[in-house]
Amino acid sequence: MKKILLVGKPNCGKSLLFNQLTGLRQKVANYPGVTVEIKSGRMAEYEIIDFPGTYSLNTLSIDEKVAVEQLTSRVKDEETELVVCVLDATRLERSLVFALQAQQLAIKENKQIVFVLNFIDEVKRFGHNIDLDGLSRELGAPVYALSARSLDGIAEFKDALLTAEYKNFPVQAPRAPLETTKQFVDFSRSLAKTYAMNKDVVLRNQNRVDTFLLNSFLGGFAFLAIMFVLFQSIFTWATPLMDGVETIIASFAGFVTQFTGEGVVTDFLNDAIFGGVGSFLVFVPQIMVLTFVIGLLEDSGYLARAALICHKPLSYFGLSGRSFIPYLSGHACAIPAIMAARTIESPRKRLITMLTIPLMSCSARLPVYALLVSVFIPSDQYFLGFFNMQGLTFFGLYMFGIVTALIISALLSHSKSTEQEQSEMPFIIELPSYRLPHWKPLYHRVINSGQQFIKRAAPVIFMVAVGIWVLGYFPLNASLEESWLGSIGHFIEPVFAPLGLDWRYGIAILMSFLAREVFVGALGTLYGMEGADENIAGLAQNIMNDGLPLGTGIGLLLFYVVALQCVATVATLKAETGNAKLSWGLYAAYGILAYILAFLANTFI
Amino acid sequence: MTLWELNKGETANVSHLWEHLDDSVSTRLVEMGFETDQNITCLRRSVFAGPLVIQIGDCVYSLEQKIAEQIFISTQETIS
Repeated sequence: MKKILLVGKPNCGKSLLFNQLTGLRQKVANYPGVTVEIKSGRMAEYEIIDFPGTYSLNTLSIDEKVAVEQLTSRVKDEETELVVCVLDATRLERSLVFALQAQQLAIKENKQIVFVLNFIDEVKRFGHNIDLDGLSRELGAPVYALSARSLDGIAEFKDALLTAEYKNFPVQAPRAPLETTKQFVDFSRSLAKTYAMNKDVVLRNQNRVDTFLLNSFLGGFAFLAIMFVLFQSIFTWATPLMDGVETIIASFAGFVTQFTGEGVVTDFLNDAIFGGVGSFLVFVPQIMVLTFVIGLLEDSGYLARAALICHKPLSYFGLSGRSFIPYLSGHACAIPAIMAARTIESPRKRLITMLTIPLMSCSARLPVYALLVSVFIPSDQYFLGFFNMQGLTFFGLYMFGIVTALIISALLSHSKSTEQEQSEMPFIIELPSYRLPHWKPLYHRVINSGQQFIKRAAPVIFMVAVGIWVLGYFPLNASLEESWLGSIGHFIEPVFAPLGLDWRYGIAILMSFLAREVFVGALGTLYGMEGADENIAGLAQNIMNDGLPLGTGIGLLLFYVVALQCVATVATLKAETGNAKLSWGLYAAYGILAYILAFLANTFI
Repeated sequence: MTLWELNKGETANVSHLWEHLDDSVSTRLVEMGFETDQNITCLRRSVFAGPLVIQIGDCVYSLEQKIAEQIFISTQETIS
């Protein structure tokens, strides 16, 4: 199939143009270990390939290198008909530097390039007119003006592509010698001087908004308010959707199992498939809501500001301002959070961020916290007569996770060799214009996040669910205590004895290595009650009657804050870092740290 | 003086980049517009020596202290 490559600098509106040209179906190819995501879609007989936004062909990080290598090889590809370079018409100067580089690359392979000036509606609104013919003569290639948002000029541009009218324009070089970086920059500047609109007019609006949003005082408030809304969205708005998924899975399970009758097959479907794998599908809506809100923040331009605000405090711990969003997402689920760490410019900081994300209290820990907190803290106890003690304990657990993550980040960044630091990109971010997000790229992003989550985590979850089910189910007709899993639990009881925990907790902890929330259900089964998930208070009562010392309980809570009991997270880490040893090493390391903390709490409290 | 010393609202010209900067970093800075004689304006400073915000060409960037100290500038007064 004939291919058209879509390139351009970040924030030039390329994704929306891609969506406008290709319609609703698209494929996303990810390159393991790096952040490169190349999308492709169809337009009539063409395949349009969308490359990540790039500042330059001179690469800084591994991710940029992979993206540029991909681009270079795709330009060489015989099937490639055309390179479309998208420019931000309101900021010609900066867009042109990369555009000229892309053009040189195309000319070298004797490929046609056309330039697209996006956001032309904004330029018109400011009363400016860009001389397209003049610019086209200077550049030696066709120039189109359009707006992917208001659809101005989109139909004409599509037509131009389909009729291949650009072919009437012979491949030629721009009217300036371009070899050194300085020549590229100077030519861009001189073109911008002639053709671009007044930059102060463009930047006036954004600077006005920044006066408020980046103000040390008001900006701080705005930041907290936005984060509050984000948290609300994860925990409140996502709840009905999560319940919906739960209901669908339950009714589907009921529908399927009515045909399988009673026996091993039904038990397997109920416990391993619908119970095990299903309990993880419940998190899909939450991840999609989170992606949606973060997407809104990013496309509106606020995310760059949030990174700026957080940069200084996080830099004390060897992190970057861009570590903030991944950390925040980690409170919903570590998997999308680890993927969100892709936006961190420095590979070292990105790695440290990814390694510490699992310490954020994800929502799978909530049921465990809820159970243990209700065992130890009476619900009617208040601190200073105002703050509910249970709520404060929850807050404390979240803080404990965050503080541990920051301490480990600081340790990791000190221990890492400094020789890498030389070539590291320092913290510089462009503050883009504030723009109203468009639903199309957001829609794709949200759908994609759900798919990625399932694709990454489902196979591992499935295998572990089946494995644990088999161990817990056989020998047939045995209680959980007498099952293989029970035997393992008794066998490893000495391991948990120093923590003050008996074999029942041992099994529950073992089972929760699949996913933490399994702990509550497993413990419920071991305490001989059905449906413990729904009846946490009942189980808490049982545990209280059984007598669990305070120190042991605190130890168990700390264990759950720190331990990386989530195989799906390990799988994601492995995919994102391309390093299996590191990922499983982290799994072991957090396990050991959790164990030590629980031991200390049990011994000294 | 360096970019880090530029106060809010002040304008200066880029003079040069620190010569020991890694090539790839300095190339990127030049591509971003940090090139000799380019006009640069400090839009805001943050509390506790946080990143500063500057306008150069048609872009607004935020830079941390470490890199801002490696970009040398000359103010109008020093030129005249």
